[in-house]
Amino acid sequence: MPSYELALVLRQLPRPELISVIRRTAEAILDKGGIIRKLENLGTRALPHKVSEHGVVHRVGTHFTIAFDTAPTKISDLKEEFGRDIDIVRRYIFKVEEPEEHKCTLHEEMLPPAYRKDVQQLIATAQKKQKPKYNYNSGLDYYPFQK
Amino acid sequence: MLRAGCQLLTQSTLPAVKTGSNGFALEFVRWRRKPRWLPVAKSKIFRVPERKKQTEEERTELMRLHNRYKTQLRSVRQYLREEVVRHEETSTVDHIVLTPEQEEAEYQALIAANAEWNATIAREREQRLAKERDEKVAYVHERLEARQLRDEERRERANEAVLREIERSKTYITREGLNAAIETALANPVDPNFAIDMAGNLYQGRTTSQLPDADPQPDQQALSN
Repeated sequence: MPSYELALVLRQLPRPELISVIRRTAEAILDKGGIIRKLENLGTRALPHKVSEHGVVHRVGTHFTIAFDTAPTKISDLKEEFGRDIDIVRRYIFKVEEPEEHKCTLHEEMLPPAYRKDVQQLIATAQKKQKPKYNYNSGLDYYPFQK
Repeated sequence: MLRAGCQLLTQSTLPAVKTGSNGFALEFVRWRRKPRWLPVAKSKIFRVPERKKQTEEERTELMRLHNRYKTQLRSVRQYLREEVVRHEETSTVDHIVLTPEQEEAEYQALIAANAEWNATIAREREQRLAKERDEKVAYVHERLEARQLRDEERRERANEAVLREIERSKTYITREGLNAAIETALANPVDPNFAIDMAGNLYQGRTTSQLPDADPQPDQQALSN
C-alpha cells in the first residue's frame, strides 16, 4: 500500500467537537482498510483568504495532517467522503514519494568562474571554434594567401 | 526573305492580283504555299489525276528487266547465305574443339575444384558457427547470472522493507489508541517553518502568526552542519 498524507483544514470548533471530527476522519481511513502512521496538529490560524465552503464563509481554520497508508483504489472514496463532511473546509491527499538523492555541489559552485568545471568546458568549446589567423606584422610585405 | 518590287520578275513569276495594281509592291515568298495541315481544296477534291500512258512494248521490256534484276539478286543472296553456313560448319576459329575424353576430364577437374572450394568454405563456416555458439552461450550465462543477482537484490530490498514495516507497525495508530493519539497531537502543535540567517543560525517556528495560541516561541539553535 502506498503512503499518503491527508492535509485537512477544519472549521473553527471547540475542542470536543474538534476531537470528534478528527476521530471521524481517522476512522473513515481505518474502515477502508488503511493504516494510520501519524497525526499532526499544525495549529489554528487565520486562513490566507476567506473560504466559502458548504454555504458558510470561513476566516479561521485548524490545520491537521494525517499520514496514512491505503489502497490507491480507496483514495477517491475517501475524497468523496471528506468532501461531504461539513466540518472539513479543505482536504488534500498527497502521495508520499521517496526523497530524491542528490549530492551537494555547493563548494564547487562557489569557486571563482575560472575554476568551475562547466565554465572550463565553455572556454574549451569556444577555443575549438577559433581558426588560426594570419598575423600582418610578421615581416612579409605582401599577403601570402589567396584573398 | 524579301523580294523587292522588280517589275520584270514580279510580272513573270506571280499573277498581277498578288502584287497589287500599283507599280511598286512587296511580295513575301515565304508564305506562298499553304501549310501541310490544310485539307485538299474544295475545287480539287474530285479531281482524278491522269495516269501516264504506256505502250505494250514498253511494259513488256520493263517487266523483263525487273525479273532479270530480281533473279540475279536472289541468286547472289542465296550463294552468300550458303557460304556463311558452310564456313560456320567447318571453321574452328572461335571455339576449341575437344574430344569427348578431354571434355570429360575437364568436367571432372572442374567438379573437383568446386568440391575443394566447398570444403574450404564449410570449414570456415563451421568455425564461425562454433564461435558464435560459444559467444551466445556466454552471453546467456552472463544474462542469467545478472538476473539472478538482480532478483537477489530485489528480494533483499523487499525483505528489508518488510522488516522495516514490521518494526514500524509497533507505532501504528490503532482504533484503540486513536483517542490518546488525537489528544497528544492537539496538545503538541507542530510547526515546520524555520528561517536561517547569514551566520547559519536556524530559527524554528513561525514568528508572524496571527493568533496567540499558534505562536510558539522561536527557539534559536546553530546549524550543526
